[in-house]
Amino acid sequence: MEYLIHIAILAVIYGILGIGLNLVVGFTGLLSVTHAAFFGIGAYATGILLTNHIADFWGSLGLGMLIAAVLALIIGLVLSRFRDDYYALASFGFNTIVFALFLNLQDITRGPLGIPGIPRPEILGYSFGENFSFLILALIFLAAVYFFSKWLTESSFGRVLKAVREDERAAQVFGYNTFYFKLAIFSTAAALAAIAGSLFASYITFIDPSTFTLHESMFILAVIIFGGLASLRGSIVGAVALILLPEILRFVGFPAEIAAQMRQVVYGLVLVLLMLYRPRGFFGEYKF
Amino acid sequence: MSTTWKWIIGVIVVILVVWGLSSDGKPTLPEGSGPLKVGVILPLTGDAGVYGEAMRNVTDIAFEKINKEGGVLGRELAPVYEDGKCNGKDAVSAAQKLVNVDKVQVIVGGFCSGESLAALPIATQAKVFMISGGSSSPDLTGASDFFARVVPSDAVQGQVLAKVAYEQNNWKNIAFIQEQTDYAVGLYKSFSSTFEGLGGKINKEEFQTQTSDFRSLLSKLKASSPDALFLDTQSSTSAERIIKQLQELSWSPKILVSDAIVVDADFLKKYAKVFEGALGAEFGVDYTNQSFQSLKSAYISKFKVSDMPYPSYTSTQYDAVYIVKSGIEKVGYDGVKLAKWSRELSGWQGVSGSISIEKTGDRSSGHSPRVVKDGVSTLLK
Amino acid sequence: MDILPQVLVNGLIAGSLYALVALGFNLAYGATKFFNLAHGALSVVGGYTALAVLRDLGWGLGWAIVIGILMSAGIGWLLDKFIYLPLRKRKASNMVLLVASLGAFTAIQAIIAILFTSQFQTLLAGESKIIDLFGYAVVTGVQLSAFVTVAVVGLGLYLILKFTRFGKAVRAVSDDGEVARIVGIQTDKIVGTVFLIASGLAGLAGILIGFDTGLEPTMGMSLLLKGVIASIVGGIGNVYCGIAGAFLLGIIENLGVWQFSGEWKDAIAFGLLIIFLLFRPKGIFKN
Repeated sequence: MEYLIHIAILAVIYGILGIGLNLVVGFTGLLSVTHAAFFGIGAYATGILLTNHIADFWGSLGLGMLIAAVLALIIGLVLSRFRDDYYALASFGFNTIVFALFLNLQDITRGPLGIPGIPRPEILGYSFGENFSFLILALIFLAAVYFFSKWLTESSFGRVLKAVREDERAAQVFGYNTFYFKLAIFSTAAALAAIAGSLFASYITFIDPSTFTLHESMFILAVIIFGGLASLRGSIVGAVALILLPEILRFVGFPAEIAAQMRQVVYGLVLVLLMLYRPRGFFGEYKF
Repeated sequence: MSTTWKWIIGVIVVILVVWGLSSDGKPTLPEGSGPLKVGVILPLTGDAGVYGEAMRNVTDIAFEKINKEGGVLGRELAPVYEDGKCNGKDAVSAAQKLVNVDKVQVIVGGFCSGESLAALPIATQAKVFMISGGSSSPDLTGASDFFARVVPSDAVQGQVLAKVAYEQNNWKNIAFIQEQTDYAVGLYKSFSSTFEGLGGKINKEEFQTQTSDFRSLLSKLKASSPDALFLDTQSSTSAERIIKQLQELSWSPKILVSDAIVVDADFLKKYAKVFEGALGAEFGVDYTNQSFQSLKSAYISKFKVSDMPYPSYTSTQYDAVYIVKSGIEKVGYDGVKLAKWSRELSGWQGVSGSISIEKTGDRSSGHSPRVVKDGVSTLLK
Repeated sequence: MDILPQVLVNGLIAGSLYALVALGFNLAYGATKFFNLAHGALSVVGGYTALAVLRDLGWGLGWAIVIGILMSAGIGWLLDKFIYLPLRKRKASNMVLLVASLGAFTAIQAIIAILFTSQFQTLLAGESKIIDLFGYAVVTGVQLSAFVTVAVVGLGLYLILKFTRFGKAVRAVSDDGEVARIVGIQTDKIVGTVFLIASGLAGLAGILIGFDTGLEPTMGMSLLLKGVIASIVGGIGNVYCGIAGAFLLGIIENLGVWQFSGEWKDAIAFGLLIIFLLFRPKGIFKN
């Protein structure tokens, strides 16, 4: 049962990541492959502030979201000028640069040594040390992120995003400053990713740069493509599916040394097959 | 597919998975006759996969031998391998599964320091004893009462090397090429604090693990005319690339190496010329000792290779398994008791020599300086 | 200052390997107008095939190179026939193709890791001959061959594209696939052949890298990204500008390492990409 709770917590964290990325990719049509960078910022904010006793979990959460949002604004200023494949490529670039920052700014992040001993969150004296209570906390965050995103995408703001996705020129002709919309959603998504990061750091209690690579961004992208673009429910389903898959493989009799590689093969094949036969994903409405 | 159907299918899948996973986790029967499970966390895949593979091999040998000799308390000892991938997230999942599904009381692992650091809290909370045969990060000293290790902390290695380099070899100005991993950074820190404290100068360049082109890095270091070059790499992969490029740049500096390299006998032989006179530090594995020799021949014959790789790590990993066996014999299959017992270990004879574990969980034994002559690492002075 | 010549030479060495990758990538991009991420995996295929021929079959160097190139060319062609072509027929957008190519890349790389283990291997048995360039800098025999190969391949491609009927058809398809089809050119077959050639070039790059710095199954992505940066910096879609971009990238990376420090190398390469995307998206040459 403990093990299932652990899997559930990971699925919830990746569900939050998926929803955030979906806002940018599924609803606005921007192929961003740098989400792991903001995931990392949330994680490091919590890791650094908590282990140095500068702030508590909530403070670090807020600060992490703020830093991620601001960084996203800066990055977004550049990214929002691009479209399609160029957007994707430039985002690769940003992920690589932010990763280099995590790895090289050792005075702040301890680089490859990572940050061990990150404590669990505390509220009014109650510590979320028990995994089950942490799961509840994480689920509350997931619900908050989900309903916020639902509200956002169903509002007039959300309609403009979809317009940008379908035909940016047309949206501009109608008088919308699409640049600002793209920037705003990118920044919002980054803040949501930071939430996932704070939860992750506090749960695993040890973080290092290797979790926040381009590879990870691609994994999050795979989650939402599988679950369905522009489907918030789909992001959660995708996260559950792609987290469960390697765990199930632990129980399958694959020889241990090729298990991870086999998982990669399966991911790759799933992506290809999805693109060929169901590019909109499991629950998706947007066929990109 | 209508939405309702999708939900139904989703729920069925979840139920099947839950059922499948839970029926696998039958609680172990400590008072029974089935095998006693010992969790093992190793980097079976990923960048450190080369180590993980060798460690798994030697762990297999240990378990087989134990069981052939009658097992423990009349029962077999069964390893349960999990892949830690040398990173925190996967090590946590591995530990979670071992502790909660397999319900082990003891884990041999992690191997990478990152794995141990991440898995610690889980073992500690579940009162499961963890013993590592490879994690050398100074951050693990005293990190948990449930953690012990058969390798000494890296803090010692750097100090020893620094002293010898500065005082004996008279190397005052050292160029440092360091891989960006926790092991390599830890070694740099312990070396530099002693070396610079003695008055030496260090010129350091760092590189990410996947780097294959070191040419300009090396050109730059060469231009600083150092007395020696410290190859601080995680494994012989990067070291090999660097050495080749050293040769291509026609630079033959004196070399210092991390213990990950100095224990790699094949590698030293392959580049004997480059390594002539090189300094390294290894903690005292006495290769003439009988138990080491038998382990080595067992490894060679079972896996059909020409030599046992990473001998100092395979020795400690093997010892870790045997220490677990001793522990269970003495105090029973109980995480709390094993953890307490480990702290009292003193003079336990293993393949890697005499082992004593301190209150902090560290192995008390220093690194000894070694120098490479004719492609073979020999004890210095 | 006295290591500047060596740093520049290092840049050219790195550049020639990037150039081979960029050549193939650009060729394919010109004909299909999407970023094929699987290109990097094909380099890995080429390198490892050569390894298998040399090590497991025991055949000679020439065979290793030829079979390596053929294998990567073949797999590239298959990718087009079974994945990209059907997608193009359905008028799939560039993003779909990009994601599909990402999937192909992931799968191929993992299969290579399974077949050959993740261990680092090198194609070169002994030491490489060292060549001294008038006392200013040093290169090895392998690196010089890489440089020469780029020149030869570049020239060969130029001749093919300019003077042969096939080349003209490729240019027509690159300019406008629809119009080419209307005019009677068998676009699909031409694209397939382009993939064949481009993938073969990727394989060749992988083999040369195998000789120079060794093989690892994970080297594909970084190689591809460098090739992409080179292509964009040089001028996307134009085969030769990619070569110029590659050398520029190689030199700037090495200058960066020299002036700053090694750990920022990748960040510098991508920084260059972003600067170019911002200010000169068509590449250095004002086409």
